[in-house]
Amino acid sequence: MGKGMKIRWKVKQTKGTRIVLHLALIITSIIMVMPFIWVVFTSFKPKTEIISPTPTIFPHTWTLSNYLRLPETAPFHLFFFNSVFISGISTLAIIIGCPMAGYIFAKYRFKGQTFLFFLIMATILVPLQVYMIPLYLIIASFGWINTYQGMIFPLIVMSSGIFFLRQNILAIPDELISAARIDGCSEYGIFWKIIFPLSFSATAAIAIVNWVFTWSMVFIWYLVVASSAKLFTVELGLMYFQRHFITDYGGTMAACVITFVPVLIVFIIFRRRIIQGVSLTGMKY
Amino acid sequence: MTGFLGKTGSIRRSQLLFLLGVFIPLISLFILIRVIPIAATLGISFTNMHLLRPVTRFVGITNFVRLLSNEPFIFAFFNSLQYVGVAVPLEIGLGLVFALMLSRKVKFESFYETLYFIPYILPMVPAAIIWKWFYSPGSFGLANYMLESMGFSRLPWMTDPQLSLLATIGIHVWKNLGYFVIIFVVGLKNIPDELRDASSVDGANVWQTIRHIDLPLMKPIILFGMVMATVWSWSAFTEVYIMTQGTDISTGAEIQVLIYRVYQEAFNYHNMGRGAAISFVVFLVSLGIILVLFKVFKWGKE
Repeated sequence: MGKGMKIRWKVKQTKGTRIVLHLALIITSIIMVMPFIWVVFTSFKPKTEIISPTPTIFPHTWTLSNYLRLPETAPFHLFFFNSVFISGISTLAIIIGCPMAGYIFAKYRFKGQTFLFFLIMATILVPLQVYMIPLYLIIASFGWINTYQGMIFPLIVMSSGIFFLRQNILAIPDELISAARIDGCSEYGIFWKIIFPLSFSATAAIAIVNWVFTWSMVFIWYLVVASSAKLFTVELGLMYFQRHFITDYGGTMAACVITFVPVLIVFIIFRRRIIQGVSLTGMKY
Repeated sequence: MTGFLGKTGSIRRSQLLFLLGVFIPLISLFILIRVIPIAATLGISFTNMHLLRPVTRFVGITNFVRLLSNEPFIFAFFNSLQYVGVAVPLEIGLGLVFALMLSRKVKFESFYETLYFIPYILPMVPAAIIWKWFYSPGSFGLANYMLESMGFSRLPWMTDPQLSLLATIGIHVWKNLGYFVIIFVVGLKNIPDELRDASSVDGANVWQTIRHIDLPLMKPIILFGMVMATVWSWSAFTEVYIMTQGTDISTGAEIQVLIYRVYQEAFNYHNMGRGAAISFVVFLVSLGIILVLFKVFKWGKE
């Protein structure tokens, strides 16, 4: 593709259409993030300003009191730890499990393989909330209701991650693997020394996606399994907080901000990888 | 080892050990937490399983028959249908519009892309709480404040069932839109510029290029997007849960969707059999919609 072609296509837009285009993009993208901007600013407002009949976006007087009050009402540091811990363990399992399964689906040939792969693909289309009743009963039969294990267990495999890794590992040349076999390398050796490092960029993408996913999008499972407050994730903590301290508007705002800021930071750091991972995996189990 | 065939000949002993040691446990785990629960949903829906009842009996299709005349279920079913009917066209339509704008080689493209994507990636609970506030009837409700300052009258966002359903669908669309923008942008970028150049040399304007080049080549991704949008809106839960939650001083919106019915039957009333029956209806209908989508798209292929 010649560079000149690209430029010619670009100058086909008149100045007028470019301005309209940018205006539309600016307005719509600001609308998209407006709720978050609003809640961040409101969380720094004193109570009188929050319930004022003529609201403004920016606080007149800035205060940290909404944040400082939080630890007295609810142990958000604990909820925070729970979320980090649960997402972390799940992501560790994904980092090891997905490339292993991907390697076998990409480079092994055995009976029933296609069927198994199809089965994994098919489960991508069934969200967890559809089969949560049997899942709950299985977890209950292990005695894991209201435990960390119970919350994490259904999140340690990721169908779309297996698919993504298989596609990625298919591109690794077979010669590399057979050469290693001839040199007497074991299958574990091949996995750890060739497959894992060569597919690591793909693994990293799905790992971050999984971390964000387990933080942000499996609320219903945590809601069903965790009933004691000491196991609450930030989302569960926030939900109970807003239910019982509804009149503490500022406090709830601050709690909202605490819930999404970690994901926002991870997103800003790993933006490229997350967008790549999400667009390729669909980000569901 | 008959039946096992390696790519470069028959499978080796070491490969077999790797399969046994790594793959079998992994796949068993997968079957335990994905395949068995999906299949067991159907099984449980034929029983009267109740967490507080010691004996579970097979009751045939009783649970399903009961659903046919169960008003809360029917209400939830049609609400969920509305969810799909409103959310899918909006998500796909707006997603395509934004993606087409972004693919016109604008400056700061990745900046806009990032802003569109932020609602999708951030957690639903705080997002839904913020929106609930936005809709709230008190002095705090910005939705009504904005309506009033533009000279319109206040709307009963949280009390009118139809309006609160649409308001909740609005949250769902806003939250997921970024995903569709991203997959469509990726799809549009994979279409070679030469094709667009050729069509503009032939005298086609922007709209004709979109209609005859971009959209036809995007068909597989649009289909994929519609499948995802359908599955997600049909099984929506979190935003509905937050919107309907009462608080110490107020009640929530009176809306229902199917997964919320599942949650209530199974985890508030401990009626696993009835909950599973609703789950199975959710599963079956979404499967049906997906099959219809595939048919329609194949049929439109000419």
